[in-house]
Amino acid sequence: MSREVLLTGFGVRTAFGTGADAVREGVFDGRPAFAPITRFDTGPYRTGRAATGGPAAPLREVLAEVAGAAVAMAGLPTGAGAAVLVGTAGDFTGLTRFWRTADAPGAPGSTDSPGSPGSPGSPGAPGSPGSTGSSGSPGAPAAADSGGAAQTVPGWQAEALADTLGLRGPRLAFTSACVASATAITHACRLIASGRADTAVCAGAYLVEEENLAKFDSGFALSRDGMVRPFCADRSGLLLGDGAAAVVLESAESARRRGARALGALTGWGAAGDAHHIARPHPEGAGLVMAAGQALRRAGGPRIDYVNAHGTATRYNDPAETRGLRTLFGAAAARTPVSSTKSTTGHLLEASGVVELVITLLALRDGVLPPTAGFTEPDPHCDLDYVPNRPHKADLRRALTLNAAFGGANTALVLERA
Amino acid sequence: MIAAMSGPSAPPVAGFVESPFNPMVYEAVERCLTARPGDGSRTAMVLASTMGDAATLDLGSRLLVAGQVHNPLLFMQSTANAVLGQLSREFAITGPLLCLSTVADPADELLAAAELLLEDEELDRVVLIGVELTGSERTTAAYRELRTGPPAADLAVAIVLDRDDPLPHPPSDIPSAPSGEYGTLRGLVELAARIQGPTP
Repeated sequence: MSREVLLTGFGVRTAFGTGADAVREGVFDGRPAFAPITRFDTGPYRTGRAATGGPAAPLREVLAEVAGAAVAMAGLPTGAGAAVLVGTAGDFTGLTRFWRTADAPGAPGSTDSPGSPGSPGSPGAPGSPGSTGSSGSPGAPAAADSGGAAQTVPGWQAEALADTLGLRGPRLAFTSACVASATAITHACRLIASGRADTAVCAGAYLVEEENLAKFDSGFALSRDGMVRPFCADRSGLLLGDGAAAVVLESAESARRRGARALGALTGWGAAGDAHHIARPHPEGAGLVMAAGQALRRAGGPRIDYVNAHGTATRYNDPAETRGLRTLFGAAAARTPVSSTKSTTGHLLEASGVVELVITLLALRDGVLPPTAGFTEPDPHCDLDYVPNRPHKADLRRALTLNAAFGGANTALVLERA
Repeated sequence: MIAAMSGPSAPPVAGFVESPFNPMVYEAVERCLTARPGDGSRTAMVLASTMGDAATLDLGSRLLVAGQVHNPLLFMQSTANAVLGQLSREFAITGPLLCLSTVADPADELLAAAELLLEDEELDRVVLIGVELTGSERTTAAYRELRTGPPAADLAVAIVLDRDDPLPHPPSDIPSAPSGEYGTLRGLVELAARIQGPTP
């Protein structure tokens, strides 16, 4: 017997600021947050814009902030046996910092060329052997460890977050790129529905940094006009954005026992592969249709009132996602509002799934459809209602949120208003 | 149930460069799925790695620091999803694709994930993968902070579990501490060895 999965707390941070009201004022008002990046020199790149919210902070601090808010909202006590599942690729600023130090002229082990082997050493790693924690066991780094190379390790981020929150359940990082935090959520849903866990804190964070800007720039994936225009004829790609969020998921029994208030229910979840290409989505959205089909079947085949689309504004994604939604909903696709909130927040990479779940929750609770901002003329192959530019009031009961990633990985979550 | 391992001599895979990470994953999984074909539409893949493809990550970072242009192929292979995508295409696998990072032996987490996924009535088979590289200066520093260590040689382990297979348990007679030979993959290597026989 599958157990009901409730959402009882959340925390969120985007370029608009921290908390739900910042999301309402930015995402729901359709205000793109894109501006020139000031965190690093963008001179070498075709694009120097992103959705950044102030100075960069260490990833672990941002995760602790949003997860702390989620746990406080849910009233989850310290010491609870909740699982901590985090979508992250690790702290990339730590990666750059390490190699800037290691490869600096005169540094121990520095070399002239990135292709040449360096000598062993620990440049840039303030933590010394044996100094990092109190537990003394492998796999249990202290969250107070102040910033060595371990912060670049995704699994460390999950360990550090769980230590900070004082939660004793399993700790795991999900590194599946743009479906990472959505995959953490589907995993938590399976754990809770099966009775293996009562509670899980699912988080994800990405903060704009140079490593990924350089990668996306090299792949010609970034917008040329400084805006993100999903589903539009003149879209030219994505822009990166700061994003972090966390949700507390728990069984209905656990919420009832603790007296926690349900904000929403995750009634369906699905994950599927395209079996098509290492980087491009299936042109018909095949994996997306399978993932969403699973989620809808699990939810009992409800009518969906809103779709928060993956909507990256890349050449390949948007028509594929549109075709997938047409296959999924048939004639109902034409009257189902679909929007991409990446048009305001930017692409949040590993954090996309959990931030967009929080946005979807706010849409359901507030009765407002968040728009696709910066909308100009639709691509002829993108022929759905994308809620262009302005929010709409609507009575929303159930929504579907979709994500996709390199390797053809797709996720789908069905969220129901409490 | 079937298992296979791969090491640094894994043959290249088209589209993947500079790092043995993806070719090793490909070879270990390909050996299993070729020997034991199954229904890809009912198959999931779960890959676990503490450090991930550190060779690609660190090369990209060092190019950036040196002010050199990125190779777009490094962008394509910058997440482990990419090799799972390659495998899913070749073996028509359309189930869930998961990539995990733990700081300890991934055997427990992989087997727990398999058990959980096989409760899904739409799945009959799970491909489990553990992979680590010997690493870089950065991963050496990170391992020191984590008080663990890499394998002595680049290594990938794949295990394919079918719904009808008895779910194996992590070897209880193996110390949980990483070994000098296999690093945090120690438990997974032992598990694979017990499934498949002596390691190559």
